[in-house]
Amino acid sequence: MSQLVREGLTEAQYQAKYEEFLAKIDSGRKIEADDWMPDDYRNQLIKLISMHSVSEIMGALPEKEWVPKAPSLRRKLAIMAKVQDEMGHGQLLMRVAEDLVAEYGKSREDLLEDLFTGRLKFHNVFHMEAPSWADAGVIGWLVDGAAIITQTMSLDTSYGPYSRALYRICAEEKFHAQHGESIVLALAEGTEQQRQMLQDAVTRWWPALLMFFGPPESATTIKSNQEQNMRYKIRSQTNEELRQIFFDKYVPRIFHLGLTLPDPTIHYSEEEGKWIYQQPDWEEFKKIVKGGGPRSVQRLDLRRLSYEDAVWVRDALLGNKVAI
Amino acid sequence: MTALIETVEQAKGNPEFLNALTALLFQMADDDFILAYRGSEWLGLAPHIEEDVAFSSMSQDTMGHAVLFYELLEDLGVGRADDLAQLRDPQDFRNALLVERPNGTGHYVENPRYDWAYAVVRWYFYGLFKQARLEALSNSSFKPLVLVSQKMMKEQRYHVMHWQVWIAQLANSNEEARTRITNAVDRVWEDLGSLFAYGSHGAEFVKQGLIESEDALKQRFEEKAKKAFAMCNFDWKGLPQAPAQTGRDGQHTQDLIDAVNTLSEVYRLDPSAAW
Amino acid sequence: MSQDKAKTPFDVYEVFSQRSSTSPFIHQFSLLAPNHEVAMSMARENFLRRDNCVNLWVVKRDDVYVLPPEERESLERLDNKAYRETKGYGDLQSKWRAHRERYEAQHGPVKKEV
Repeated sequence: MSQLVREGLTEAQYQAKYEEFLAKIDSGRKIEADDWMPDDYRNQLIKLISMHSVSEIMGALPEKEWVPKAPSLRRKLAIMAKVQDEMGHGQLLMRVAEDLVAEYGKSREDLLEDLFTGRLKFHNVFHMEAPSWADAGVIGWLVDGAAIITQTMSLDTSYGPYSRALYRICAEEKFHAQHGESIVLALAEGTEQQRQMLQDAVTRWWPALLMFFGPPESATTIKSNQEQNMRYKIRSQTNEELRQIFFDKYVPRIFHLGLTLPDPTIHYSEEEGKWIYQQPDWEEFKKIVKGGGPRSVQRLDLRRLSYEDAVWVRDALLGNKVAI
Repeated sequence: MTALIETVEQAKGNPEFLNALTALLFQMADDDFILAYRGSEWLGLAPHIEEDVAFSSMSQDTMGHAVLFYELLEDLGVGRADDLAQLRDPQDFRNALLVERPNGTGHYVENPRYDWAYAVVRWYFYGLFKQARLEALSNSSFKPLVLVSQKMMKEQRYHVMHWQVWIAQLANSNEEARTRITNAVDRVWEDLGSLFAYGSHGAEFVKQGLIESEDALKQRFEEKAKKAFAMCNFDWKGLPQAPAQTGRDGQHTQDLIDAVNTLSEVYRLDPSAAW
Repeated sequence: MSQDKAKTPFDVYEVFSQRSSTSPFIHQFSLLAPNHEVAMSMARENFLRRDNCVNLWVVKRDDVYVLPPEERESLERLDNKAYRETKGYGDLQSKWRAHRERYEAQHGPVKKEV
């Protein structure tokens, strides 16, 4: 159903509202959940925020294996705190997405259904393997590091509820990055076995990290909404700009630890004023995001099964909406 | 009346006292450690996202309590906390049978099919037991233990309130939920007696004034549990006998062996390394 | 159990907390729950993991009366009300100083400063 029909507007009325909306965006004012917004703005936000939410929720799963296995009591506690925060972030973002889809008569149930049936995409990194303790460290250091860069950019997004959720999230992410760094440094400064474990993990995660920010505009056949998102001030920097920030921050440190990257060509070019690197396989990216990553099916199944197993719980609680 | 042992140093100077204290601390540390592990296996699987967040928070608190006990053991010279938690063999663990039982079928990473009713009922009654045990420690002859217990009481009260809401809402809703909760209570009741058992050191615990008697502890628990049953509109089942194997003297199941192996897997690669 | 109930989702609850007894209640965030009791039992772990909290409210969003979007602009005021703010009285200090200096030049201080 088109927006005109749904809201009972004439073309002219819609145009007037649209102009007003754009003026608000251009003047830097925030849009709230109950403000008027064009469907394409709403839909972009739904796509972006529900993907972000689900990435946080699914993101806890690669680390889950390492929670009980963490090699000291202090690490066990820290990683338990981290994965709990991630679930919490997923919850905040899910609520923001829910308030957006409510306009279409949809709810959390529908968003989760979309996740389980593969309609809702989540970040490629969470489809990856995490076969060693060092992977848990690399996730905290580099994956969370990448997420912080994206989130920091998004803090001044035009959509108020998303911005507020991100402020809460950013406050907690600092600890996550430090936790990851602490694990990685212990391994880097440790035994030969520990250093090798770390190197293997970095090598393994590099392609996924490159792809984390999404393709540069030029690179692919993948349809990108970057331009529209920037017009609407949903985001303020391109995928490639964010990736360059990531390189600035982390490539030197990776080399400082004496680690190598699987891309022997990566270097900063003074003349071009940017990092030069080998492009990952963007067709592979498309496939992974669609659920074809090594762990995709298994992790989604895990989530879906437990959700189905718990239908009785939700039914029982719904019966108590009036009773209590 | 046993004289109050104020410090760790004093305790170390009294071998009989130290032995009894060590045995009790291992029971409490291992109970929380293994149950916290069971809680962490539920990550991402809880019936409701907000509950996943709350539950993982409480697992974390419980792990924190275990760490406090292991650190007290370290202060007493029994060993390094990380080693105590991760290098002992399964038969040296002193947790009660109830906490080592699995959450359901499957492995926490591959195909877990966990039972929410069992989780609620186990955590709730363990929580009531822990409250009773902390109260039973309030006049302990070992001052540091009194202080640690007082610190834990507040968090514990909050946990119990949380599970109380769940069990009451599920038990008092529809037929299916009530049946599942009833079945879960039956299963927990089979193992419940393992919590109260003091094992072969029991007499020493009481003689040294470390904790109230098993009977006194049971009475405290019974008072709380009766109220819980009434709130759920269940007939009181009475307190069960201890099972033949309680876990307090190292008699455990394969489930505990698997748990201990998982918990120590990375540390055992190199306990002398810095992690 | 009617089909309708099974389909209706949980309600949105807004969570407010008070940091200390001298702080106001502030809004934290919202969560989904079937009723007030469940909402309350989840509120702290979801939004107050790292903050102090001496009191907690949960309010069903439906019960919050919200200023409609069209009327929010009317909350903005004209910036002509210095008469009721401290910035409207910035000259007081210099006046008091001038009077004091004039008096002390003739009579010395009224009360010797210790």
